[in-house]
Amino acid sequence: MLSYEYVKTGNLQEVFKLLESREHVYPLAGGTDLIVGMRGGKFAPELILDLKDIEELKELREDKKGITIGALVTLNEICLFKPVLDNIPILSEGCHSVGSYMIRNRATIAGNICNASPAADTSAPLYCLDAVVNIIGSDGTRSVRVDEFFTGPGKNALKKGELVQSITVLKPYPEGRGIYFKASRTGSVDLATVGVAVQSWGERVKVAIGAVAPTPVRALSVENAVNEYGEKDWSKAAALVNNDISPITDLRASREYRYHIVEVLVRRGLEKTMGV
Amino acid sequence: MSEKITISFTVNGENETREAAVGQTLLSFIRDDLHLTGTKSGCEIGECGACTVLLNGKPVNSCLVLAIELNGKELLTIEGLSKNGELDKLQQEFIDHAAFQCGYCTPGMIMSAKALLERKPDPNDEDINEALSGNLCRCGAYQEIRAAIKDAAKK
Ligand SMILES: Cc1cc2nc3c(=O)[nH]c(=O)nc-3n(C[C@H](O)[C@H](O)[C@H](O)COP(=O)(O)OP(=O)(O)OC[C@H]3O[C@@H](n4cnc5c(N)ncnc54)[C@H](O)[C@@H]3O)c2cc1C
Ligand code: FES
Ligand code: FES
Repeated sequence: MLSYEYVKTGNLQEVFKLLESREHVYPLAGGTDLIVGMRGGKFAPELILDLKDIEELKELREDKKGITIGALVTLNEICLFKPVLDNIPILSEGCHSVGSYMIRNRATIAGNICNASPAADTSAPLYCLDAVVNIIGSDGTRSVRVDEFFTGPGKNALKKGELVQSITVLKPYPEGRGIYFKASRTGSVDLATVGVAVQSWGERVKVAIGAVAPTPVRALSVENAVNEYGEKDWSKAAALVNNDISPITDLRASREYRYHIVEVLVRRGLEKTMGV
Repeated sequence: MSEKITISFTVNGENETREAAVGQTLLSFIRDDLHLTGTKSGCEIGECGACTVLLNGKPVNSCLVLAIELNGKELLTIEGLSKNGELDKLQQEFIDHAAFQCGYCTPGMIMSAKALLERKPDPNDEDINEALSGNLCRCGAYQEIRAAIKDAAKK
């Protein structure tokens, strides 16, 4: 049986103290990465800090700034939140593609980005939406863009003692369609072989891709061709994605296959969001 | 040995107070401490759904929940479905449709289906597929399982 201390408290000041009290302290949200990782020996916590009593992490609201999703909101709750469905459906597609219905009843979006897998399915949609990660610690709060939050495989921009409080998608919302394609080996319960998010903003487009580099990436070569040079041949634009990615071979797919399938999915995404 | 914490909860409608080890999963607690062995252990990493139970009415993989997280919550396992010796309509339809071969996935399937019918009393194929997306049947009884759920919904 696993051995560690466990604390659950709703008092943030106490939480910050506990976070700094030991070397290996792990916050617990849905536990879908943490518990699997502990069992597999990837994480060896001295202390597990259950966040689920912290009210400050539970907000889910739309206001004049945009949509804010607290760290403890589950992926299934996000998929049903009307302002997300109406304004940024690409995010609900990303959330919906995670694991299974049961996993999404527990898993949170903050857990998904904190775990910082390059294949995290909410990441490419969040990159396309220029989402902001709101961080809280004993020194107060700070915010970073989601692409600054992912710093490497399994690595994020949190400093010791900090938590993700929420994620905000600021207004103006994109005017146009967004789509998230996940290529995986099975219909559910598998990580993305690659994940491709394409979001149109009027005549412009944003493209982000997961599982093709140490962090999720924006396909800036593709975006540049479409947005700055007016490329309308989507096959040509999609072919440029090779400049933006550096996939590896692993158990899900070979490097070559990833290059191929990303190009196909970027082209399809451009067709669907920008018109054929 | 892992530290123990006292937790209070309801299981299948009964109030209980027990000790749970800090390092224990809810799945292990259900099977080894509550002796409710209808909940099955398959992969223990969230991939098969054999361990599905309802926590506050929602289906979860009990292998991915800590036992101590049960404190203050309501747990429903497959043993809680029959009332006064009468099977739940889902259990009866699974039998009538022979919606299993080995039966290992069945308790988990039924718990996911139970939660589905609570939130969508008249589910379509897409709803059923979504609800069962985390429940694998290695015997491949999916057609019969879907039919059983649809017929249970009609009752
Ligand atoms: C069977 C299965 C299938 C899966 N399929 C997918 C998939 O298809 N796509 C996908 O992207 N992922 C998948 N996952 C991974 C996982 O479900 C997601 O990454 C999930 O969103 C993690 O959220 P959580 O709340 O469960 O995180 P937890 O496991 O609770 O936490 C994850 C990590 O983040 C830290 N953490 C959590 N919250 C905070 C916070 N607020 N501040 C600071 N640190 C925090 C934890 O300490 C831990 O290190 C799958 C997992 C399983 C078990
Ligand atoms: S035993 Fe829990 S999902 Fe397989
Ligand atoms: S009946 Fe054998 S696993 Fe489903």
